[in-house]
Amino acid sequence: MTDRPALVHLRGAGEPEPTAAHALLSQRFRVIVLEAGEPASTPDSLVRAIDRLGLETFNLLAGGAASRTALGVALQVPERVAALVLEAPTAISEERRVAELATPTLVLYGTLDPVTPAVGRRIATLMRNCHLVFVYAAGPTIGIDRPEAFAEVVGDFLERHEAFVIRRTATVIHP
Amino acid sequence: MKVSFFETVRYIPPEALPSGWPVASGIYDREAGAHAYEAMIERLQYVEELGFDWVSVSEHHYSPRILSPSPMVAAAFIAARLTRLTIALLGPIVPHSNPVRVAEELAMLDTLARGRLVVGLLRGTANEALSYDLNPQESRERTDEGMELILRAWTETQPFGWQGRHFQYRMVSIWPRPWQQPHPPTYALGTSREACEFAARHHLGCGVSYGPFEVMAKATRHYREACARHDWQPTREQIIYRANMIVADTDEEAHALLRAQPNQAPFALRPGVRDAVMTLDARNIAGEARSPVVAGALPTTFIGSPDTVVEQVRRARDVIGAGVLDLSLHPPGARDLEALTRALELFGKKVLPRIRDL
Repeated sequence: MTDRPALVHLRGAGEPEPTAAHALLSQRFRVIVLEAGEPASTPDSLVRAIDRLGLETFNLLAGGAASRTALGVALQVPERVAALVLEAPTAISEERRVAELATPTLVLYGTLDPVTPAVGRRIATLMRNCHLVFVYAAGPTIGIDRPEAFAEVVGDFLERHEAFVIRRTATVIHP
Repeated sequence: MKVSFFETVRYIPPEALPSGWPVASGIYDREAGAHAYEAMIERLQYVEELGFDWVSVSEHHYSPRILSPSPMVAAAFIAARLTRLTIALLGPIVPHSNPVRVAEELAMLDTLARGRLVVGLLRGTANEALSYDLNPQESRERTDEGMELILRAWTETQPFGWQGRHFQYRMVSIWPRPWQQPHPPTYALGTSREACEFAARHHLGCGVSYGPFEVMAKATRHYREACARHDWQPTREQIIYRANMIVADTDEEAHALLRAQPNQAPFALRPGVRDAVMTLDARNIAGEARSPVVAGALPTTFIGSPDTVVEQVRRARDVIGAGVLDLSLHPPGARDLEALTRALELFGKKVLPRIRDL
């Protein structure tokens, strides 16, 4: 149980839980869902919460405006964040510091998201180890709209980081 | 009204061909093939001289009827040899293609031709599913997703991955990008509700083909209504109507020419295959189910003397709302190329100047 790497999902208040994507990801990761509290969680309060869980290193997943908080956590404890996944990020701050982050980062957008992926493009431009992926036929809550597609790309990225660009599934039809 | 000549690459076989599809490639004659492409260029030089705006090419497989399995190669050859005609690539069959490759090749063509390119993206006729082992039941979904990926590949400025239903790429970042920005004028081709709505959602043009004006108008009306729901209005040039035309000196002569044409689908599928494909590959016009043409030849909706045809074009404009006519002036696969030249000349001199300003 505990030998699975930890995936902390910082989710917005009121989002449904658990989702099909959580179930799929929990086959490979110890998924911990933290709900953004009121007032909105800060990187400080999140790090304290993660400390209380006894996690040394962890992967971090956040969507929408919470992406900024997740980036804040990575800036605060970069050595403890194995990888970041930002789902339809809508905000970024501290660009100068973000540009120095080496954390492997995956930015996802759904193709049905009415918001342009400008923030994600900005993050991908700033960070040296950032990958932008569009999930077809999903809105801003990609994990809810296309759980299998979401869990596959997130899981593959968290396991292999930048090497996830190399296909590893077989295409042989008849051996 | 813009006018496009549908170029079908005339392969004139030295001997009679069997009638079924696919046609055994062992009877292909390489001299006749090489001649077909050279003769195409000569014909298009005349088409250009007559003042046509576009030449269109299409993708078809496994028969000599339209000898352009790769419309990209045909278009590149034309782009290199002709200087004024806009090349209308109508179009790559999206569901059985690699959409990233399609985006790359079209961007390359657009650059080679310095913007003399318009693009139609389509699902393809039902038999084309068999060419590259495509499940006909998946063709609609693959078309929509593939078209969206092509548009994304043209316009996205950062390297990106695509986590689709039918296509998956971890890294896409095409070079060259299209010459025309954000991308060449693009049409979703087809009368289906899905094609019309895709076009509306992505601010693309719409292309309908062959059917009677009133039937095609159902699709273009659906398209315009869908555009309105997305808060925009297409221009007239964003509606293409591809059609067969027979123009002759008199109405009687034109109808005699039609009667002389075989009224059966050329290179037809075997009935067992055809029926099985049709049941898996549902088609519609603006949401109303339709059965694809299976036995008869495609209808000819413009027929008569130049005067008659000009009036028909006026009606097509009014009823369908089309601003581009893509014309087949002679049945693809017919051997009599002199008849095609005569039709081109008559159309180019007696009809084209009169419909230009419609």
